[in-house]
Amino acid sequence: MSNAIAEPQVIDLSLGELDLVDEIKELGGEELLECIQCAKCAAVCPMALAGFPFFNKRVIQAILIGSRETLLDDSSIWACQSCNRCTEICPRQVRPFEIILAMRRVAVREFALPTLTTDGLKSLFDVGHAVYLKEAGKSRKKVGLPEKPPSTLAHPQALRELQAIMRKTALAELGIIPMGEAEVAGSCEV
Amino acid sequence: MPRIGVYICHCGENIAGAVNIEAVREYAGTLPGVAVAKDYLFMCSDPGQELIRQDIKDGLVDRVVVAACTPRTHEPIFRKAVEDGGLNKYLFEMANIRDQDSWAHWNEKDGATEKAKRLIASAVAKAGLLEPLQDRFVEVTKSALVIGAGVSGMFAALDLANMGYKVHLVEKEPSVGGNMAKLDKTFPTNDCSACILTPVMVQVGTHPNIELLTYAEVASVEGSIGNFKVDVVKKQTYIDWDKCTGCGDCVNACPAKAPNEFNEGMDNRKAVYIQFPQAVPKKAVLDLDHCINCGKRSIGTQPRTHSVTGEPILAPCEKACKTGACDRSVAYDPAGERVTLQVGTIIAAAGFKAMDKAPFKEYSPQSPNVITSMQLERILSATGPTEGEFKRPSDGKKPATVAFISCVGSRDKSHHSYCSKVCCMYMLKEARLIKEKYPATNVYLFYIDVRTAGKDFEEYYNYCRDLGIKVIRGRAGAVDELAGDRLRVRAYDVDMCAPVELESDLVVLATAIEPAPGLPEMGRKLGINCGGEGFLKELHTKLYPVETSVKGIYVAGCAQGPKDIPESVSQARAASSSAAVPLTLGKVVVEPFSSAVDREKCSGCGICVPLCPYSAISREEVDGKLRARIDEALCAGCGVCAAACPSLAITLHGFTEAQIQAQINALTIGAGGGKVV
Repeated sequence: MSNAIAEPQVIDLSLGELDLVDEIKELGGEELLECIQCAKCAAVCPMALAGFPFFNKRVIQAILIGSRETLLDDSSIWACQSCNRCTEICPRQVRPFEIILAMRRVAVREFALPTLTTDGLKSLFDVGHAVYLKEAGKSRKKVGLPEKPPSTLAHPQALRELQAIMRKTALAELGIIPMGEAEVAGSCEV
Repeated sequence: MPRIGVYICHCGENIAGAVNIEAVREYAGTLPGVAVAKDYLFMCSDPGQELIRQDIKDGLVDRVVVAACTPRTHEPIFRKAVEDGGLNKYLFEMANIRDQDSWAHWNEKDGATEKAKRLIASAVAKAGLLEPLQDRFVEVTKSALVIGAGVSGMFAALDLANMGYKVHLVEKEPSVGGNMAKLDKTFPTNDCSACILTPVMVQVGTHPNIELLTYAEVASVEGSIGNFKVDVVKKQTYIDWDKCTGCGDCVNACPAKAPNEFNEGMDNRKAVYIQFPQAVPKKAVLDLDHCINCGKRSIGTQPRTHSVTGEPILAPCEKACKTGACDRSVAYDPAGERVTLQVGTIIAAAGFKAMDKAPFKEYSPQSPNVITSMQLERILSATGPTEGEFKRPSDGKKPATVAFISCVGSRDKSHHSYCSKVCCMYMLKEARLIKEKYPATNVYLFYIDVRTAGKDFEEYYNYCRDLGIKVIRGRAGAVDELAGDRLRVRAYDVDMCAPVELESDLVVLATAIEPAPGLPEMGRKLGINCGGEGFLKELHTKLYPVETSVKGIYVAGCAQGPKDIPESVSQARAASSSAAVPLTLGKVVVEPFSSAVDREKCSGCGICVPLCPYSAISREEVDGKLRARIDEALCAGCGVCAAACPSLAITLHGFTEAQIQAQINALTIGAGGGKVV
């Protein structure tokens, strides 16, 4: 059962922050107003299947009525699996996935992001993988693969380039994760 | 002995799905007088008709019974086939085994089959007694009546007038224009309503073939296609329209006020008034209910004389009038003037009424800031009470937030169960007009569904959403009055799965389109049925959408059901071309089902004379005795006289006593004693 049903709360439309629409359009959700809430995206969304209260369709409606706090207080937007099926099937070419990403950008600006996400970003900066299991090297060896995959892990120069790129993004300005100059890749247990 | 052919139609699965055709055909073959009994998938198709034609040509049959869908649409088709085969076309009888049997008893196959047998037995019994009849022709009066001068009525009248026919255009208001004249802009192209309508009004007012009868209503209709006699009452205007120039001096002089109907009651007009500035004809009307009889000048009295000057004391209106059109000494007849029109065809285009807000207690109708969409049209219109300034009624302030509520009175079993069809689009239009002119206004629409089915409508809807108009799915349940003339709309946002509320400065109710007041009564005068929803009923939704159950009377516009302007105009023009057909032919066929008097049996009692709704019966002296005489041209074949005649002296051709008795016998006792369905 979704949170919205469990905790019925009246949404005061008069308090809606209607400039949220413009913000989302600027941050990559240009087609936002094309949405007619047909729910085709929700029909294929893994978040909806998993029971998250704010999947693609409802994220869009919350944005349309300017319900910024609703989205910031809820972790649903971070649960998007980036499968992109919504964008593939949307009959209005709204690209709901892009809107979820835009909403994440809004959330990050306000530091409204879950710890897991911070961990992922830190891992991305540190080793070049948002998710990388510590024991993965052993498993790879067992099946006859090189311990380190042919990624930033095997190519320290590539990791340095990635870090240089990340330092130039808005992420660096926000200071959500430490982006020191120290060589960190070697410290990662593989 | 007649040789009757019985032809049973499967109507695809429509009949065959509920009726055992094989059993029915076998049974029909056993009926007395039946020479041939056949069945076919679609009797009305060419191969089906050919079965009938060939059997007649081969000399197998001389009477035909078709058991099929309904005579309403298919009787003429089979009569033609019978005629083409070489028989008199009235030697044909139809058994209705679809509308009145298979469709009605779809899940009772045994019963439906039994009933089909009875209906066919009944038709066969009548067929054996059929006699050849000859069509009658009546001359057509080459003029038409159009009732209602809104956009539909005006286009219907103009088309007929342009074809060269004389048209009498009757309108109950003082001016032509109808509801459309009140609108600001019109979807989907947002043309200004006045800009596209007023030129049409002028055309109607000046067309040499159109006789305008405004401020008039139809009192009675007699006769039938080709020759209708219509009495029209021209309501009393208390102003001599021959002299009135529409200058408005009397209006300016009048001190008495009344709610202004044209502005939906949001401001006042004078007791003497011109309906709106662009009125056609531009003539003043005196509303006696609100006149205060200045200077004790009641209508029809002589003026008192001034004690000092000796001058007559006149009311301000007549004093202001330079032409003598306003003269209160005239003893006007309050009943107005009755005029009789002779017309060949009639188009009923009596329009609609947008519902008032009063019945919707949940939306705080007592608040002046809760208005109907029609009132908003007037506020947005340059000719309205605010001259087009977007102001709310309570304090004249420009609303910062506006909420629209859809389906008010529509799709609601307490009011009208139908969809009013135009509300989604007119709400979007009004929201768009506001948003385009004042982009900072917050506009919310509370909907059940957005229904924008129409050419270019979806594009319009998308454009409105792009403007930032908020569409909330969920019918608003309440409007509360708050302090400071604020309103709170309460709804449930289905997409958020949460109750929502909105503080608003103005709430607009998209009220339903309902039949114009008096429409059912007009329907009765015309003899046209009103459907359950109160609109005039067309003959057949798909095939005969502008015809009615009365030949020679057609419908157009919202009198037939809610529709938008493009549809109304299309239907009006369809109605005018249908109404022109009899006028062009000059003669119409009248079915030979008229009554005839057997003078040997007639006692001359005269009971039939006042009963005849068509005044077709009179009495004349024959050999020194009074006998009834029926004027065939007037007789509509209703059969009232035949049923009432105590001497059984009147026969209705096509429905004789013997034929009907035979049918009843076959339906009841003569059908082999099987169970009655």
